Amino acid sequence: MDLVRHLGYFLVVTEELHFGNAAARLGMAQPPLSQRIKRLEEELGVRLFERSSRRVALTEAGRLLVPEAREIVARVERMRDLMSDLARGDTAVVRAGVPADLGAAVLAALIAGFRERRPGVRLSLTEMGTAAQVTALLEGRLDVGLLRHPVAANGLAYGPVLVRHPGVLLAEDDELTAWATVHLGDLAGRDLVLFSREAEPGLYDDTLASCRRGGFVPAEIVCTDRVEFALGLVLSGTAVAFGAPAEVPGVVWRPLAGTPLAWRCSPAWRAEPGPYVRDFTSVAVQVLKESAGMVDEGVPPAPRVAPRPATGFLA
Amino acid sequence: MTRDMARGVNPGVNPGVNPGMNPGVNPMERVFRSAGVMGWLHAVDIDDGREVGLRADEPVVLASVFKVALLLELHRQAERGLLDLTERVRVPAADRTGGGTGLAAMLDDATLSLRDLAYLMMAVSDNTAADVLLARVGREAVNALLDGLGLTVTRVTQDCREMLTSLRVDAGVADQSAVNQACADPEVVARLSALDPAVANRSTPREMTRLLAMIWRDEAAGAASCAAIRRLMALQVWPHRLASGFPFDDVAVSGKTGTLPTLRNEVGVVEYPDGGRYAVAVFTRSYGTAQNQPRADAAIGTAARMAIDQLRTHI
Repeated sequence: MDLVRHLGYFLVVTEELHFGNAAARLGMAQPPLSQRIKRLEEELGVRLFERSSRRVALTEAGRLLVPEAREIVARVERMRDLMSDLARGDTAVVRAGVPADLGAAVLAALIAGFRERRPGVRLSLTEMGTAAQVTALLEGRLDVGLLRHPVAANGLAYGPVLVRHPGVLLAEDDELTAWATVHLGDLAGRDLVLFSREAEPGLYDDTLASCRRGGFVPAEIVCTDRVEFALGLVLSGTAVAFGAPAEVPGVVWRPLAGTPLAWRCSPAWRAEPGPYVRDFTSVAVQVLKESAGMVDEGVPPAPRVAPRPATGFLA
Repeated sequence: MTRDMARGVNPGVNPGVNPGMNPGVNPMERVFRSAGVMGWLHAVDIDDGREVGLRADEPVVLASVFKVALLLELHRQAERGLLDLTERVRVPAADRTGGGTGLAAMLDDATLSLRDLAYLMMAVSDNTAADVLLARVGREAVNALLDGLGLTVTRVTQDCREMLTSLRVDAGVADQSAVNQACADPEVVARLSALDPAVANRSTPREMTRLLAMIWRDEAAGAASCAAIRRLMALQVWPHRLASGFPFDDVAVSGKTGTLPTLRNEVGVVEYPDGGRYAVAVFTRSYGTAQNQPRADAAIGTAARMAIDQLRTHI
């Protein structure tokens, strides 16, 4: 039995939840499709669908099989593409996901660095948030990604963790530009423009928790993954943003005292990294260190609260 | 409070990063001016010696700030075996120096150890406790210690009782309880010898930061004594002066205030989570004679933060 092909039929049925529609989509008659699903059930020793008079529903086993089947089908497709590329003499492709705020210079250095190491392999970059990268990696649509921590995902392996400490971007007429270093608590009363929670769920929550600890609870958080939009809000004095210094007239960058924010990132892949993924990882780590101001993660300092008799807790 | 003041006096001028941008008044000077006070200030990085000053070498009246020198001599005498810090001292109800806090405000006989008297002297500026301790160690001994440390402008010539008595005599009132009322009169304030650095306990901002730096570097006495002094200075309860400039959980502020009519001082050490530590001494005289001037109190913290921000520009 061609298990992969049967899993493909299974996935179409799960998407349609209707044997007739699924068969039409596959360009075949309904009885042979039903037959093949039945054979798959026999092969796996479980029922995958509950079939009642007019309804088709996934069983528990069927639901568990969906992500596994998707991954197997995607990886086999990927393998075939890779091999047929080679057979036709086309160049191999590494599909990598990168965060939206990487910046043009870092992106260019990444591509140049990889090209230098693997001139025969094409690096296909897609701008993606961490959540989308995790899904794409698990489904085999990406070979390697650059994820921002914390990430809660089973089944991924990670390269070295790099960290950077963002400062704050302010409009130049903001009174806080008077300080050489700004405390998180100084930002109180200002709105914040930040990457979206959908794109970066872990880092979003982590960043806001640090802000609250530091006394900054923004009244409004504007979410965007577009750097230009964020800078526009900063420039107009609408909101402040966290990040690296921006070369934009009218926007002033200040470091945050005590480095209360630590943004971590690392390359990630599924299963065993192939040689291309290994090369991408080492190039990415080098570029992020040289061009994006990231450093190897040391031991993070414990956030401290210095006690004060008059304003601390009295009990 | 701090933000309001910064907004009012500091529009877009960067005291640390662009010192040449504003040819006008020193921004610390403007903080003092807008709070209705004249200010004297010195701040120094305890570890690298970088410094910022404003009239830092002019003589200033210490008021209760002299208690830091007294506390140091107390510990030095204990180190030499001249006294035992756990020795219990009876402080009778009938013989209390005024002042409104601590034993001065308590109604009954008390018996405390020397080191607990020192705690009251530092935590709430207890004048009775200070006079008991000064009588015990001797003011000549305190001045000899200051000579030995090279602090030759700093002198302790009076105890708290003499200080308060001079206020009453100079104000021309019969009773200590009338002093507060009398000192609301600018003409009375003009003739108070307690405000004359030639007569009263005195120092300079620079000598006070040198003293603090020596205490923080374990050079002013043995390491255990310096640690005990640092502990007491961190237990001071007042939040309205130096500490008000650093409303951040991860910044530790230790200090000792000093207050007389129109005179508001605080010297202390500010410690940042990245390990930076700064001794700062701020002395002010208000133009108005009102006792309650929260803006004058807060100006001490705001000016101190400006000075420390300048010291931190290289970070």
